[in-house]
Amino acid sequence: MNKFLLFLVMLPKALWRSLGADIEQLKWILSVKLKMDDRKPLGFSRPQAQKKPSRYTSALTVVVTFFTGIVYIFPLFGFKDTILALFAFYSMMLVLLSFMLIMDFSSVLVDTRDKLIIFTKPVNDKTIFLSRMLHILIYFMRIVLPMSLPAWIVWGILKGWEGALWFPVPLILLVFICLFVVLGCYLLLLRLAKPEKFKDIIGYFQIAFSIIIFASYYLLPRATDNEMLQQMTATQYPWIRYVPSYWLAACWTWVEPSAAKLAGTQWLSIAAVLFPLAAMWVTIKMLAPSFIKRISAIDGVEVHVPNMKKVKKGGSKIYYWLANILNSTNASKAGFMLTWLQTARSRTFKMRVYPSFAYIFVYFFYILLSDNRPFAEVWESLPQSGTYLLLLYLSSFAIMNAINFVTISEQYKAAWVYYSSPVATPGHILGGAFKAMWVKYYLPFFTAIAIFVIYIWGFSVVLDILLAMVNVTMFALCILRVGYRHLPFSLAEQIKTSGAKTIFRVIFVFALIGGLGIAHHLIHFWWLKLLFLVLSSIFLWLVWDSYHNTDWKSIRMAEDAL
Amino acid sequence: MQPIITINGLSKSYGDKQVLNNIHLEVYPGQVIGYIGPNGAGKSTTVKILTGVIQDYTGTVTVAGMDLRDNVLEIKKIIGYVPELAELYDLLTPREYLSFIGKLYHMPDNLIEERMTKMLDSFGLLPNIDQRMDSFSKGMRQKVLITSGLIHNPSIVILDEPLSGLDANAVILVKELLQRLKQEGKTIFYCSHMMDVVEKVSDHIILIDKGTIIANGTFSELRGSGTESLEQIFSKLTAADNLGEKADSFASAISNKNS
Repeated sequence: MNKFLLFLVMLPKALWRSLGADIEQLKWILSVKLKMDDRKPLGFSRPQAQKKPSRYTSALTVVVTFFTGIVYIFPLFGFKDTILALFAFYSMMLVLLSFMLIMDFSSVLVDTRDKLIIFTKPVNDKTIFLSRMLHILIYFMRIVLPMSLPAWIVWGILKGWEGALWFPVPLILLVFICLFVVLGCYLLLLRLAKPEKFKDIIGYFQIAFSIIIFASYYLLPRATDNEMLQQMTATQYPWIRYVPSYWLAACWTWVEPSAAKLAGTQWLSIAAVLFPLAAMWVTIKMLAPSFIKRISAIDGVEVHVPNMKKVKKGGSKIYYWLANILNSTNASKAGFMLTWLQTARSRTFKMRVYPSFAYIFVYFFYILLSDNRPFAEVWESLPQSGTYLLLLYLSSFAIMNAINFVTISEQYKAAWVYYSSPVATPGHILGGAFKAMWVKYYLPFFTAIAIFVIYIWGFSVVLDILLAMVNVTMFALCILRVGYRHLPFSLAEQIKTSGAKTIFRVIFVFALIGGLGIAHHLIHFWWLKLLFLVLSSIFLWLVWDSYHNTDWKSIRMAEDAL
Repeated sequence: MQPIITINGLSKSYGDKQVLNNIHLEVYPGQVIGYIGPNGAGKSTTVKILTGVIQDYTGTVTVAGMDLRDNVLEIKKIIGYVPELAELYDLLTPREYLSFIGKLYHMPDNLIEERMTKMLDSFGLLPNIDQRMDSFSKGMRQKVLITSGLIHNPSIVILDEPLSGLDANAVILVKELLQRLKQEGKTIFYCSHMMDVVEKVSDHIILIDKGTIIANGTFSELRGSGTESLEQIFSKLTAADNLGEKADSFASAISNKNS
């Protein structure tokens, strides 16, 4: 698979060469990177395991991505106007793919880990930039291909063999538009921002941008009327001619010239071809030079002259105080403090976890607005509805995401410290880490939601709030107990499974927690809620006890299962 | 003779911290330069500038008659660099890694193969040539790293703590190797904290502290008429406090008498 994808991305050799890349170096860098992606880094307790990458995981990824792609076939039926249908499809894809690029793959672009290996060799900026871009492209293709397959099939059925033949062409252009526009923006930011601050700026940019994309993706289509959608034609919205996804849709006029309702549509299809080329040219020719210089400067952390007056005793800090109150053993205190501090300072962690807090509200309003009523009406009837349970259970998304990323670190090798210290029960470290995540990320967030819920629905729902909180905590612990018994910050992140893993995780977690929420919804008597609260609490205690007493054998088993 | 490396007025700062402050330096072909200084003195920054990793500095750096800013790729071709901290792709085998490095220098396959086999064999690493390096010891990685820095036969070799993690025999081998490289006319820029080695292998010693060169000369010039070792000279020039007192204070922190 890798060899084939490498062959594919190296096909336009002449183009890469004309953009200033050294072809031989480019190919070697890419093949070495792909080879490394295929190999799993070794953990501490399994230095001899050199397992082959599992084909099962890759196949599952493809299947899950394929099913996710089914969602994107609906705009193809939803409109009478063919060009508009394609426009909606490409807009959705454009937004989703940009989102993936920003969230999962952009770290590859600004990676500084191999600077002493490659930057010191006679390799030019453009070759290094292109190697990273094509590396991203290869993983991107692995997602785009299965994801667009359902739409491709549908288009083939709707429009015959011409449609099927035509379909991949604008899709490739679309991938290039996403890639060059997003990466171009990064390079521009890299040029404009102070290098020492770049990663922070990028981090907050990613958080903000992903929230905007996520919100517009889910909420904008809801804001429009479904029936209106059916009757809509491009002539009602002449401004869409300025949107790149419309240019891509305009390519359909190559097959069916009469499909164009808006004047000049055929001409716009030329823009679809020229735009990615222009974006590529600007990105590589104008922004990529001095890439090495900028990337190297990122690590030049701003060093301040140490201030002796600022050195305080650790004991005066809030995390220190909390660690002592909430944990009984020293190992749990250590796990608590490490997790508290690392999560506050790791950019990767913040970038992955913080947006999920906003997503919860986006999902909430997405589901609220799903029956096509105006927002004001929905808002007014909110106290009569039972949607507060939805919001309460959606909060699990935040803690699940935080739990998932707390095991991952760029400095995963520093985990030797757990193995060399006299820790008899590693579960205490896991327990401390869980408490830190719960207190730091879940509790304040859930409290805010609870206040909102009480404000809208009144005090009568307090029992529901408590039950939901216990259930979500129990659910998170169950997931941890069954699936992720890894020590905090002890795993290396692998790009190979990034994109699809996100999708799979979301589906899995939502299905399970959704079931729990529905079960809660079915309980109508207060005394039954109270009974379930007691039962859930007992179960929570049992799961906690088991998780908190995790032994070394289980940790090793979890590592071997990777 | 023309110097092969000329550094003029080199300065570099991170935020409000000045890391290198107006460095002037000349290195002649075939010289072994011992570049020493306390932690955070600016040694690594100088090396990163020389190897083209850091490109935003003030001042001029000329290597083999070429300005570093304008000819960074040409200069990288003639430099071999062995970074500290064993930075390499340890998921690869030595064969894969060295082939990759060789290819970045556009070396032909047979030449890479020939040199790699010979060099790894000298280090006793040939039996491990097809093993993944993530299971390697620090010393084994260091040997691969030294090989990767020299495989393209560079005329300037920059070594940052090259002996770190090596066993006694490998240390002797590398020290001998430095002499051979010197005899072949290669210029060696040697950064280390191991003063006894620097004292023995270097023709010229440069001591840098807080971004400024505070001593520059041969070992006998630095020593003057005294009989001090390089370690003692280093300590005299760079340590502000009495190190014996510091050690006492450190040990007393974990002393049983206090608990």
